[in-house]
Amino acid sequence: MSAYQRPASVAEAVAILRDTPGAIVLAGGTDLVIDRRLGRVDPDAPLVDVSAIDELAGVRWDGDVLHVGAATAISDIERDPGIISRAPALSEAARVLGSVQIRNMATLGGNLCNASPAADMTPPLLAHDAVVVVYGPDGVREQAVISLFTGPRGTSLAAGELVVGTRLRIPARSGSCYVRQTVRWAMDLAGVGAAAWVLAGGAGSDAPIEAARVALGAVAPTAVLVPGVDHLLVGHPLSAERLAAVREAASAACAPISDVRGTAEYRRHVAGVLAARALSIAHARATGVWPGGPAPVNGRISSAGVGQHRAHRGQRDTTDASARPGTLA
Amino acid sequence: MRVSLNVNGDTVQTYVEPRDTLLSVLREQLHLTGTKWGCLTGDCGACTVILDGRSVVSCLQTVGQLDGASVTTVEGIAGRGQVMNDLQEAFVAHGAAQCGFCTPGMVVAAEQLLRDGVEPSEAAIREGLAGNLCRCTGYSKIIDAVLSVARSRDPR
Ligand SMILES: Cc1cc2nc3c(=O)[nH]c(=O)nc-3n(C[C@@H](O)[C@@H](O)[C@H](O)COP(=O)(O)OP(=O)(O)OC[C@H]3O[C@@H](n4cnc5c(N)ncnc54)[C@H](O)[C@@H]3O)c2cc1C
Ligand code: FES
Ligand code: FES
Repeated sequence: MSAYQRPASVAEAVAILRDTPGAIVLAGGTDLVIDRRLGRVDPDAPLVDVSAIDELAGVRWDGDVLHVGAATAISDIERDPGIISRAPALSEAARVLGSVQIRNMATLGGNLCNASPAADMTPPLLAHDAVVVVYGPDGVREQAVISLFTGPRGTSLAAGELVVGTRLRIPARSGSCYVRQTVRWAMDLAGVGAAAWVLAGGAGSDAPIEAARVALGAVAPTAVLVPGVDHLLVGHPLSAERLAAVREAASAACAPISDVRGTAEYRRHVAGVLAARALSIAHARATGVWPGGPAPVNGRISSAGVGQHRAHRGQRDTTDASARPGTLA
Repeated sequence: MRVSLNVNGDTVQTYVEPRDTLLSVLREQLHLTGTKWGCLTGDCGACTVILDGRSVVSCLQTVGQLDGASVTTVEGIAGRGQVMNDLQEAFVAHGAAQCGFCTPGMVVAAEQLLRDGVEPSEAAIREGLAGNLCRCTGYSKIIDAVLSVARSRDPR
């Protein structure tokens, strides 16, 4: 078998993977090229390049169901108008991932399959209860995104299996949000990432919550869904007390490490703060009270929607952020 | 494997090890050394090129994926017969280079930002160039240079 193959269809790719033991899937290469060079994966392993498979790339709506192909570039998720308005946690995660150059290369499937605990696309997919569609020698199967991860950089994919995409249902009156904390303004992995999803029973800030999920990244060996959020919220409007309870639940769901991006204690605290912030923004979106535009980028933020403009240097102006819903600390 | 690439407007046919990076092919086979060999981890942006209308880091771009693709390197930013384009002139006028190592990647990344119609504001340009590191200038002069061209190309 040749060391490099470039199939044009999913069926062809799966057949090549079946017939080429040890073959590795190549998508954008932003993880794999580094791993090969550093010997973290066998540099001699044959590569199966999935970037020429048209059916693997792109965003498609089927009523209220969103399909995002595995080979869709992060920058295409960042800019997709439908995702921005209906599944904003995904576009907010895409917008902070890497740099322009990295977003143009990196794919959603690669971000999931690389299975970094800090991967930015994962918490939004967990909060949205997304399903991942997997093709293998035995045909197609589906599983919840959460069950894809077995540990840092470990997945439950069997040899020869290919992720073809993810599927999310986006009902009316739902809203989502992703916020993260980083040490630098850009080009840094999340110290903590938090995504929230809310289904509201009506419009206005007093509307009761019908369903809710909060997910965290970078605070445990895999991304986690915060347990008990439904129980805390369903049937009630989002009061300050309930927000505080979710904050506590989020901190309790963490099993963080201490590293260059923060101590375990700091991460646990920030996870609670960001969970509450993401939840209140998701709720504001679900109930129609969010003024529009993306969530503020990074921890204690400057003006909403401005983004990483101080990537390179500068003071953080927190006045605007403190006035926003969800800013607790 | 044989790949056919359009590089700076010329069609180039070359034999490559498909798993090599575009950066190594540009520098070692095509002798286009303007594209710099920096971190090799996607962090510094010194190897930025334009691939089919999008900026990418060539150190992480596998060349086997590029049969039929169009690549613009810093050598192709100015038009034919031109020494420098307006952006490159602005880098000179603003003193936006010191050691110059980051400059080709900065110019290429900024050129693509401008082609994408970046909003002529410091905030948008800083965000757009977040993937290009400069250890010398402190960025201000680079941002000023790009901003001046964003304004002059966009008469809003
Ligand atoms: C400078 C830099 C900054 C970064 N910043 C961030 C950041 O802020 N946040 C963040 O989350 N990530 C960040 N990343 C990592 C991010 O770019 C990757 O995780 C990317 O999303 C992986 O996608 P890819 O297409 O490049 O995957 P590849 O590198 O091609 O593949 C990654 C892994 O997934 C497997 N794979 C890929 N596609 C499939 C598929 N369809 N089915 C089965 N297996 C598959 C590959 O075999 C490989 O093991 C950064 C990377 C760099 C270099
Ligand atoms: S050399 Fe490619 S980003 Fe640094
Ligand atoms: S001028 Fe020296 S790194 Fe930018």
